[in-house]
Parts: sequence; structure tokens; C-alpha cells
Amino acid sequence: MATNLAGIIFANVGEYNIPELTAKRTMASVPFGGKYRLVDFPLSNMSNSGINNVALIARNNFHSLMDHVGSGKAWDLSKRHSGLTIFSPYGGHSFVNRIEAIFHIKGYVEHLKEEYVVITNSNYAANINYLKVHEFHLENNADITLMYKNMAIPPKKEAPVVLYPDETGLVKKLLINPPVEDECPLSIGSMIIKRDLLLELVRQCMSANTLDFAKNLLQDNIDKLRIFGYEYTGHISLVHSMSDYFAENMKLMDKDIRDELFNPLRPIYTKVRDDAPSRYGLTSSVKGSLVAQGCVIDGTVEGSIISKGVRIGKGASVKNCIIMQDCKISDGAKLENVVIDKDVVITEGRALTGCETYPMYIEKQSIV
Amino acid sequence: MYPKQEVVAMLLAGGQGSRLGVLTKKLAKPAVPFGGKYRIIDFPLSNCINSGIEAVGVLTQYQPLLLNEYIGNGQPWDLDSMDAGVTCLSPYQAVEGAEWYSGTANAIYQNIDYIERYNPEYVVILSGDHIYKMDYSKMIKFHKKRGAACTIAVIDVSLEEASRFGILNTYEDGEIYEFDEKPAHPKSTKASMGIYVFSWDKLRKYLIDDENNENSDHDFGKNVLPLMLSSGEKMFAYQFEGYWKDVGTIDSLWDANMDILNPSIPLDLKDVYSRNRMLPPHHLGENAEIQNSLVADGCEVDGKLEFSILFSGVKVAKDAEVNSSIIMPGAVIEEGAKVLYSIVSENAHIGKGAVVGGIPEDYPDRDQWGVAVIGDGLNIADGAKIAPKAMIDKDVEV
Repeated sequence: MATNLAGIIFANVGEYNIPELTAKRTMASVPFGGKYRLVDFPLSNMSNSGINNVALIARNNFHSLMDHVGSGKAWDLSKRHSGLTIFSPYGGHSFVNRIEAIFHIKGYVEHLKEEYVVITNSNYAANINYLKVHEFHLENNADITLMYKNMAIPPKKEAPVVLYPDETGLVKKLLINPPVEDECPLSIGSMIIKRDLLLELVRQCMSANTLDFAKNLLQDNIDKLRIFGYEYTGHISLVHSMSDYFAENMKLMDKDIRDELFNPLRPIYTKVRDDAPSRYGLTSSVKGSLVAQGCVIDGTVEGSIISKGVRIGKGASVKNCIIMQDCKISDGAKLENVVIDKDVVITEGRALTGCETYPMYIEKQSIV
Repeated sequence: MYPKQEVVAMLLAGGQGSRLGVLTKKLAKPAVPFGGKYRIIDFPLSNCINSGIEAVGVLTQYQPLLLNEYIGNGQPWDLDSMDAGVTCLSPYQAVEGAEWYSGTANAIYQNIDYIERYNPEYVVILSGDHIYKMDYSKMIKFHKKRGAACTIAVIDVSLEEASRFGILNTYEDGEIYEFDEKPAHPKSTKASMGIYVFSWDKLRKYLIDDENNENSDHDFGKNVLPLMLSSGEKMFAYQFEGYWKDVGTIDSLWDANMDILNPSIPLDLKDVYSRNRMLPPHHLGENAEIQNSLVADGCEVDGKLEFSILFSGVKVAKDAEVNSSIIMPGAVIEEGAKVLYSIVSENAHIGKGAVVGGIPEDYPDRDQWGVAVIGDGLNIADGAKIAPKAMIDKDVEV
């Protein structure tokens, strides 16, 4: 099943709002849900929507991302004539913003055989069928379709875009960072546009040196183009800050959200690691938690996300925590409201407590 | 032209495994799920690549669909290299006619062409129904050093058990002087593990001799090995230290699974590769009680779990109890159901309040007790009772 859609994913999104997790990685490679990286969601959604050509644009810190996506095979994006292409700056072709980035890959975009492009951020976890958005785009004879969800603007989101579509979906007003506190039609960072139009708009912006995607490419064209809003009604986790990150991970404890996000007919793929199933010892007590493979658990766990390869010793207690892969929580350690990055060792008997709205963060490869 | 491979492995995976009853109704024994996420064949395949063997022929015959699909291009085991990799070898039609594999030796005989294209020095014969981790390269080194025609891996068993195995009687240096198939009075405790290393030129000759013998059953243990010994070939026993289990029966399959949960048994699942299903991490609910168990991805557990193994995507509802059981992929245990000392096959559905199997302590007459088995995709109605030792092959109403 091939579609007339190609994909562009931005790997670096709003990273300065969540510096802890993105010190050594892109937003796209931030771990999520115990076994995924955020980029798994846009990649799987594109693959499940029959999109065969995907460009992943990464500006900096992209080693962990490249290691994760590899050839794109895990998402079935490694075909003979199509698949995943990673674009990073090189030589004189560096870029700092989206318009420059797309200009930078114009050769790739020009040669796509697909006529339409989905452009998306990588800071979300949702199960989105882009084909439906594409159908909507075609039915409305739109130039640009922006996806939005009625929700309050997350506190730390930089330059949020709010659309005001009329009853037909046509957007006549688009505001950037408006002073709205209630729910509003907030852009979720995914859009569909015709490939040729995208190139034309990007060239115009480049030649005028007006390089703000939301302001110059979207807002300035609001009267010239048919811009439509597509309301997304499903579950979406948007990650803009550490407190978002914590809260959105914890939402996975809700069975309905899990069932929607991990729909077996539209699976979320990720890079596979050959972990054994997780083993629970005689002294373990685990409730209300999400546990990936390869763990050995002998302690008490409650309301937590335990990623692959984590060890939790006897008498250790882990409550409302996110423990990333391959951490070791030694015997008798007590943790509450803590986010622990990869490969951390918590030594015997240590006690760490954060706050539910402001979790404590332990850096990758630390020994506490 | 294929580049030379010093060693080619031939994995015998065509057996029906009739002693596993409903478990092998629709799939070959090597494809039976094991250990929470594996299939039995993952063990020999992983052993091959971990021993540096890159050319593996898998001989399939009985119910090969799932097995062929599972092995695929061999990518999960890194057996998809350009020069060699894994190849499924099923019986075929030729100018001389068509015949099924009539015995283990005949199966290899019919695939001499496959082996020859790699021009190997040694051929390793493996079976697809054993759980063990072994570095075959050490055994091959032993074989080379002794200048043997054939080396057979052996494991020490107890004297009582010895009469259930093929026993090898050897001199002190390991050279074999006698085979004793299931001896009533064993002279040694060296049991054959069904793993053979042959020098290919020797094996080739004896396979052809055996094929031309009309009275032969074309079986390695029964025909080819005794023929080689009586012809004066140098044959050695190679002592294997470590965990090894033949999982040819319901009881041994259940035992081997339970062995994974036993910390004092040296069966480490590290470096065993398998084809992974794309499922989210498993979720344990607010009512979950879980002890000494193994749980794979995609499970949803809100009941009580003890000494059990859950494969991927299993659901155990609130107030359900699973004890000392193996629950294969996609099975559902509904509210209040009890599954005790049982094997529940893929996608089976155990209704509310149903009881499957029993605890051995409740059966003073041990002959009445055994592991209960529920077949693939079956539905056990709400409140139904399945006795221990039962082998269920159709839906059960109350």
C-alpha cells in the first residue's frame, strides 16, 4: 500500500525547555513509555499510513538518534527504492531554523515522487493515521492542513500556534503565543502540504530572509492560501518540559490510553533489543506499573515505569518513578517521584525523593 | 559459487513431537513456544551464530508453515549474511522421484548438494528439540585435535536415568568403543545429547553406504553411528558441562520452563535471540500479586501469579490465579479463574471462574495428577473444570 504522501520529521524540537533529557540526545531520541523513543511514534505512524519516504532532519546531538533508527528497518522504512533518510548539517549547508532546513534538503524534496508531504515534530506520543488527515486535505482542496487539538497551552511550550478555523475548517485567524488560558485549538505540530507549494513558500521566505516558519510561512500567508485545521480527537502526549514528560509517561497507566496508543492493528515499532522476559523474584511486590523486558525485580514497585534491563534489589522501594534502561537500584534503596536516566546505579540504602509536580532528575550514567 | 564454510550445521527440525499432543497439532516441535518469548529452535540457532557457524540448514517436514515463516530470512539470529545464512530444507521432487525424509540420516543424504556447495570440512548435526546453550566451536576444536571421524556430545546423567538414553561407553581418553541404546544395565552415565560433529568426507561416504543398504532405517543413532564404529572409525565422546534438557514430553517441557525460574539452575537466557513481537511493556494492575514469575511484553496482569511464565500479550484478569503454569502468547485468563500446574496454548480463553489443573498435594494418588494442557485457541467456558493431566483438544462447555 503506497500513498501519495512523504514525511518530514524534525528531530530537534524545543530542547532548551527540557535540557536534562536532551543534554546528550535529540528530542526525538528521548525515551518514552519504558521501551520507546519519541521518534518511534512519528516513524510508526508514517509507516502505518503507508508512507515510504521519510526525511528525518537532525541539527545537533544526533548520535543517539542515528544509533536508534539505524537503516529504518524496524519501521519497515528500508526498501530498495525508498525508506528513511537522515539529514544533518554539513560543510557550508548548516541550518538553524525550519525554513533553512527544508531549503537545505530541497534536492531531496524535489525528487520525491509523492506529491504531498506530512511535516511533523517529534515531541509527541500518539497513534495518528495520517491518511485520514490527507483525505481531509484533499476533500477541502486545501493548500495546507494543520492538525490541532482543543487543549490548554502547556506552560512551557515556546511559540504555541493557535488556529481559529470556521465551521468548514478554514483557518482565517492564526495566532502565535496568544494570552489564552482556557482550552483553545492548539496546533500539535503536524501538517500536510503539497510538495511543490512547500518548496515555493520556502524559496519565498529564504529570498525575503523571513525565516520564521509559523510567522512567515503560515501567518503571513493566511489570506493568500487555503489553510485548514484538522481536529485531532485522539489521545496525544506532547512533551515540552520535565513535568509534562513525567505526567505524560504516567498517563500510560490508564488502560484506555494504552489500548489507543498501542493499537495492535497499528503497532508502534522500535529498535529491538534481545532481552529476556522480565523476572520477578520471591520477594517482589509490583502494582500499577509498566515494566519492559529484561528486568529483574526483587523489590517493591508502585505506579512506576520500569524500562528494559532494569534491576531492582531486595527491600528496594520504587514509587511514582520513571526508571530508564539498564539502571540498577540496589537493595534497600528508596525512590519516590524520581526520573532516572539510563545506566544509573543507586547504591544500597539511598533514599531520593522528588515532588509529583517537580520530579527529581538523575543524570545518565550517574552513581548515587 | 559459494565461498567455503569450514563448518555447516544441519538442524533436524522435521519431527512431529507426537508426545507433546495438542501442542504440536498445528506446528512442528521446534516451533513450540518456550521460556516466555522464545521458540525451542531459538536455542540451537542462537548457539550456531554464537559459535561462529554461519551456514545452517534447517530440515523441515512436519507442519512446516509456522516454522518456515518464523525462521524467515534468519535476520533475528544474524543468519542472513550474503554468503551463507539459514536455509529451510524441505523434502523435494527430483528426476529420480520424490520421497519424504525417511530418517535422520536420509534427510541429510537428500541434502548433500546443499552441504557440498559450501565445501565444508566439518558438518554439525543438531536437533531442534533441546534446550541448552553450547559453544560448538569448542567441540569442533576437540574433534580436530583428536583427528576424529565423529564426535558425539555427551552429558552425565544419573545411573537411574541412564536407561532412558543412548549411552556411550568410552575408554579413558573419550574414544567410544560401544553404543548402548537405552540399556537395562548401563555401564556408563554418558548420555548422547544428539549433537554430532562429523568430518564431512567421512560422513558423506557413510551416508551413501547407508542409503544403499535396503535394511537400514536411515537413522543416525540406529544405523550410521554403529556402522562407522564397526568400520573402525575414530569416534569420540565430548563431555558437555551445563544445562541441557530434551523437551520432548509435556512433563519435560513444563520442567524446563520451570527451571528458568529456579535461580540455582544455570540457564541464562542472555544471547538467546528470537523474533520479537512489537508489543508495549507489560502492565501490572492495582490488584496484581506477582512472585517468582517471568512476564513478557504486552501482558496485562491484574490477578495473582506464582511460579509461572507468561508469554507475550497474555491477560490475567482480577482475582484470577495462575500457579506453576505456562501461559502461551495471547491467552486470556478471565476473572476468578484458576490455572494450576498447566500449559495453556496460544490464544486459548479460560472463562470466568473456570479451574484448570490441580495442585499435586491434593492428589494422594500421584497417577491421577499431571500437567493439564489446553490446546491452541480453545475456549474453556465460564465455571468449567479441567482435571489435572487432561489434554484438551476441543472447546469445553460447562
